[in-house]
Amino acid sequence: MRRRLFLQILSASLARAAAGKTVLIVASDAGWLACAGGAVAKMTGDGASAILVRVGNDEKESWGLTPEETALRNRTEGERAAKLLGIQEVISFGYRSSELRDVPHTTMRDRLIFLIRHHRPAVLFFPNPHTEQDRNLDRYYVGAAAEDAWHCARFQNYLPAASHSGLAPHIVSEVYYYSPPVDPRRREPESTATFVPQPVRVDIGGQFERKLRAAQVLRTVNRSTAMRLKQSLEAAGRRLPILDVVDESAIDKLVEENLRGLAAVCSEGSGYQLAEEFRYAGIEYDIPAKYLR
Amino acid sequence: MLRYADSFRMRLLLHLRAYLFIGIFTGGVAGQVQSRLPPGEIPAGKILLVVQPHHDDHTTDYGMGGVIARFVESGYKAYYVRASNDEKDGANSYARNDIINLKETRDGTRILGMEDVISLNWRNDFMNPIPLNELREQLIFLIRKYRPDVVLGHNPWEHYQKNPDHRNVARALVEAYWLAGYDTVHPEHFKLGLKPHAAAHFYEKGRLDWGLGQISNVALELSESQVQKKERAIAAHRNVYHNPGAKRAIQDRLAAMGMHVPELDAVNGDEASDLLLHWWMNWVSRDIGKKAGVKYAEDLYHMDAQDHLPGLKAYIEANARRIP
Repeated sequence: MRRRLFLQILSASLARAAAGKTVLIVASDAGWLACAGGAVAKMTGDGASAILVRVGNDEKESWGLTPEETALRNRTEGERAAKLLGIQEVISFGYRSSELRDVPHTTMRDRLIFLIRHHRPAVLFFPNPHTEQDRNLDRYYVGAAAEDAWHCARFQNYLPAASHSGLAPHIVSEVYYYSPPVDPRRREPESTATFVPQPVRVDIGGQFERKLRAAQVLRTVNRSTAMRLKQSLEAAGRRLPILDVVDESAIDKLVEENLRGLAAVCSEGSGYQLAEEFRYAGIEYDIPAKYLR
Repeated sequence: MLRYADSFRMRLLLHLRAYLFIGIFTGGVAGQVQSRLPPGEIPAGKILLVVQPHHDDHTTDYGMGGVIARFVESGYKAYYVRASNDEKDGANSYARNDIINLKETRDGTRILGMEDVISLNWRNDFMNPIPLNELREQLIFLIRKYRPDVVLGHNPWEHYQKNPDHRNVARALVEAYWLAGYDTVHPEHFKLGLKPHAAAHFYEKGRLDWGLGQISNVALELSESQVQKKERAIAAHRNVYHNPGAKRAIQDRLAAMGMHVPELDAVNGDEASDLLLHWWMNWVSRDIGKKAGVKYAEDLYHMDAQDHLPGLKAYIEANARRIP
């Protein structure tokens, strides 16, 4: 009972954050949009400004294109999708996707600290580096750097030259850790709400259509997903009738099924029809609930 | 004279054996979990690729020797990739350990019915600073060469894994498993006639008793003969596991608790070493079997080629059709 009440409080806190600036730090376009696109649309719809930091260049995710062409198309499509969700600016670091472990952690972290101090967001989104069974480790490396940047941006002795030049330390008070719902233990509350982000679900019923339209803009990634799915099913002696002819309408339909299925998985047991799930660090992350009361 | 690492390994092994041994005879081991695991089946396919950092990782307490034997008995051709050179493991010089351990890998995997051992020879216990994308490229190459239906390796998310060889090989492998299917990844391989290949299944295994332990989602039942192969496979690694002194250490420890085991008293040190390995592997297989409601089993975490799309799982199950 107490846990349910606690989770309801966490869910309600989303509305409080809406007025502030949001910065999303992401490894790839399709990943963040599927996991957090609805929550971001909810915030921007309520008046928040949002900035997207793309760390990877998405050069691998295509079907039959060169890495260079893939990166260019994915960047263009990612920016269009972000705009549809109300994101005002997209900053691309341009690091090679699926090679992100070659980027020094501190290099990635310090660039993110710089941006956090410059934009001074109230809310951060980044991939959850503590998620298990997510085979895309780019999300792990970006999440680990972003979590570190969130923590270090508040201390003046990090990036001292920038501090000296007027980029003052900054504390971000709310963080949403996103990840695809693949970790079998993702809904288990941690031992304490203090210093450990807690599971929370966000109702995206009102934002689903907008999220879907944005996801369908990612044509290069979506085609890659559809073709690879068709291929893997055929290797197992199976076929999806919807993919007998892989054209734009089939791909759009597949994207819709994927997002609806994802929202259904995330909403299980929450009372919502369509939801996204996160690990959330808010006021109780820093101050134990007993003191807040 | 033993170097520190070697003597440490020996002491660790002695303690571990004593701990497991005492657990076997006193009927309890810390961390036992009794929740029922769903039974798994061997998926249709022909090729199994097992990728591990070390010579003996195919069959240890966290190993999968019984499952490998079951795959082979089901018609699979199986290959073992040893990522490190195992130079630290054993009481010999680095070079000699490397040579002996590789030979014993071949002996052990042959007992399981495997076809070949591919040794990548990365320096043992120096794998934390290696360029992991280079190791991943080697694994992608091997996946494209052997075109496995099933890839089997270590759990990259294992809690409290202290050995960076395990963590890093596992991380490289879980990415190689899916990136091998992308033609945008290492296209230079295609000059040799290789083609992208996405394996249909990935199984991972971690230690049972570290932190929160291995989070498994399937148990594969083992037959008596598969457990016996597993016992013989680990016993083939004599450079590390043959330890006649273990008998005395365990007897001393049990005596301090006012206990003794007649079977152990009746054999010499060499025989006791083999007996302890037999008990160890048999106990592990029985203990996991309890979780699955069968006599013997090994538990694993299984992912198929669609598991990274959790939103489509239900749709695929409802709408996919068999190709006639």
